[in-house]
Amino acid sequence: MPRLAIALLRHAYTIDPLLPLLLRPCRTLAAAQNELRWLREHVDKLVQARRPVNRKLQQQPKALLRRLAVERASGKPLQYILGTEFFGELELRCQPGVLIPRPETAASVTHLSHLIQNAPALPSELRVLDLCTGTGCIPLLFDHDFSSARSDRRLQLLGVDISDKAIGLAHRNLARVRRWKASAGRGDVDFILADVLSNPFGDQTLDPPCLKAALNFNKKPYFWDIVIANPPYISPSAYWSTTTRSVRGFEPKLALVPPPRPGNNDTEQADYFYPRLLTAARDAEAKIVLLEVADLDQAMRVATMARRIAIFDGIEIWRDQPDQRNESAVGISAEFPVRGQGNARSVLCWRGLGATWLGRGRATKTSRTTRA
Amino acid sequence: MNTMHWICRSCLSRAIRPLFKLRVRWQTTASATESVPPALLARARAVADEHKQLAEKLANGFDTRAAKKLGGYGAIVSALEEWDKANESLAELTSLIHDPTSDPELRELAADDLGATRTSLAKASQNLTTSLVPIHPFAHLPCLMEIRPGAGGSEAAIFAGDLVRMYQAYCNRHNYRSTLLKYENINGTSEAGVPLSEAVLEVNSASAYGVFRCEAGVHRVQRVPATESKGRTHTSAASVLVLPSLEENTSLENDFEDPESDYYIDVNEVKVEVMRAKGAGGQHVNTTDSAVRLTHIPTNTVVSMQDSRSQPKNKEKAWQLLRSRLAQARREKREEEMVALRRSVLGVAKTGRGDKVRTYNWGQQRVTDHRSGATVHDLDDVMDGGQTLDTVMEGVRRWLMEKDVEALIAEEASKK
Ligand SMILES: C[S@@+](CC[C@H](N)C(=O)[O-])C[C@H]1O[C@@H](n2cnc3c(N)ncnc32)[C@H](O)[C@@H]1O
Repeated sequence: MPRLAIALLRHAYTIDPLLPLLLRPCRTLAAAQNELRWLREHVDKLVQARRPVNRKLQQQPKALLRRLAVERASGKPLQYILGTEFFGELELRCQPGVLIPRPETAASVTHLSHLIQNAPALPSELRVLDLCTGTGCIPLLFDHDFSSARSDRRLQLLGVDISDKAIGLAHRNLARVRRWKASAGRGDVDFILADVLSNPFGDQTLDPPCLKAALNFNKKPYFWDIVIANPPYISPSAYWSTTTRSVRGFEPKLALVPPPRPGNNDTEQADYFYPRLLTAARDAEAKIVLLEVADLDQAMRVATMARRIAIFDGIEIWRDQPDQRNESAVGISAEFPVRGQGNARSVLCWRGLGATWLGRGRATKTSRTTRA
Repeated sequence: MNTMHWICRSCLSRAIRPLFKLRVRWQTTASATESVPPALLARARAVADEHKQLAEKLANGFDTRAAKKLGGYGAIVSALEEWDKANESLAELTSLIHDPTSDPELRELAADDLGATRTSLAKASQNLTTSLVPIHPFAHLPCLMEIRPGAGGSEAAIFAGDLVRMYQAYCNRHNYRSTLLKYENINGTSEAGVPLSEAVLEVNSASAYGVFRCEAGVHRVQRVPATESKGRTHTSAASVLVLPSLEENTSLENDFEDPESDYYIDVNEVKVEVMRAKGAGGQHVNTTDSAVRLTHIPTNTVVSMQDSRSQPKNKEKAWQLLRSRLAQARREKREEEMVALRRSVLGVAKTGRGDKVRTYNWGQQRVTDHRSGATVHDLDDVMDGGQTLDTVMEGVRRWLMEKDVEALIAEEASKK
């Protein structure tokens, strides 16, 4: 990482003595100014809170602001400092130990909901399963987006995670969203603990149980119309070369890098979740599957895996902004349609009725068709 | 004023200062309510004439078109009658009072009556005016005010910030709901005295556009900047752009879908950029960059928003601003043709973004509006958004109204 220019730091200091601190994690002046403003608003809110969290700090807002800026300068994500992050139209609670939701994920979920909510032949109840749910952001946003357009359909949503902390936070986020007046969500939402990697036929540890056992134990259905997942997908080498200091230093590695297995190389480790997720989706008889990925290479590998299990009628790749028109021809795959703008971000598969719900028409088996 | 005799000297000298300040206000308010602009009056008379002719025509046989037109004129004609009546009685009373031959008792009675007659004349004038003036199609809408520094470096930027606070105070006093959609000084805060780069103030009350549209244009400031060591007066400027604001839930919502509407935007012609799309993205980074930039490709209009931590909120605000800007541009283009016509007929000045509309002079503690020609002296009260600002704005609205009527008359004349 290049060092910050002294001139920039000095200029920042003349604007506000706290800005140079924020320049370290933010890199640009505009971003640092925004963060300083948000920190200030946060401190103002704390100061005005009727039930003060900490009276002593409340009396010294300047000192508090400075302390938060110093924390931020150490690389601690602003979202952990402020305690929330926006995800689509929702503002969700975040806490150290659970991955901060990303806007790209929100963009895919919202786009999926947009495609489906206009479908003519939706069943009266739609079931959505989110594997590796973290803060619970995906089911909560899907519920909100879909329900604001279609209140005539029942939704059942379930989030699954291996981490106690994540499941606890997801439940609190559900309560938070339900308290929020503008929220449209009214689906039946729940979160349960399970290990999506554990093999039901292998040696069973019951803590946490495998997915099937967990569904059974919690009296949840086996069959789900839509399966979504944003699993850990970063390879060990990319973890060191590509993630930022703030991600490495403060977000849980469990949420980012799949576990190592003897004999797996770097890439195989990054892809480790996808075969299990596709199997889970097949067992659930999902009509639509949406899996987030790191980049176009991984997208191609996952799409190829999905084609190999030969149950899908169509497979395509979405970029960061799937709702935007695809302008660039860069990276257009000859095998799978690529939609949207930005980096390749997820792989969408569908079969049977899923094609109608998505408005994709019934494509030929395994979608070897290419776009003209 | 007859109580004046009983006031002692020291009280009098205390009273004189505010009186001096108030004089201007009195004059303007008095004239604003009691008299009717000549152009308006001329039009009212013309309407009354036509009304009479139409009525005669109708008496000789029914004509649907004439009947309809007659109905539309009714309000104007009766307002004019009221006004004439009030004027007459006022004239009578005044001549009575000034006539040295009239009976003193009668004179006193007349003096007593004067107040009530004045009031009814003011009311009649107002009625007559409102019955005639074409109402701006967007007058009922809330508005967005965009304020930016013009020529004059950081002094201009400081003044732009002063204007923002002036309008905010004005809104507070009038109970208009105002929100800063965007406030960017180089500091990222809204402190006073820090140079502003751009502000967008939303006045979210019905009819705000009708109130504020007279504020559009270049506002000039003459003062010694805080940064000036030699005490020289500088002249700088800030520009104010006023746009009717359409939130999603206004009655014009359908217009968003209607290609004929000014507010229609073909979504395929807008490029939406989220700033963080650079780099690996996804799980690799956790930056807070929620900025959104919209580019309307055909006109190359760019709007960016980064105030909120929520990307959808930034996007929504950006769309709102883009729609308003494009609609204004379209309206202006259409109106330009009209204005060209009016100019050729009358030389009416346009009140758009380019023209210098007002000067704030600190040395003389005065504010002069170049359109209405009015000067007030309580500069501080203006900058505090006080009643003196009301006076100035009323004056401009009145001027604008007269111009509107002149233009209307010119237009009708050119049609004949
Ligand atoms: C990249 S995070 C995604 C979180 C959330 N869905 C989001 O988009 O922000 C991956 C999540 O998978 C969970 N996870 C990791 N290994 C798992 C496993 N074997 N079974 C289930 N969940 C697992 C982590 O706890 C983490 O919350």
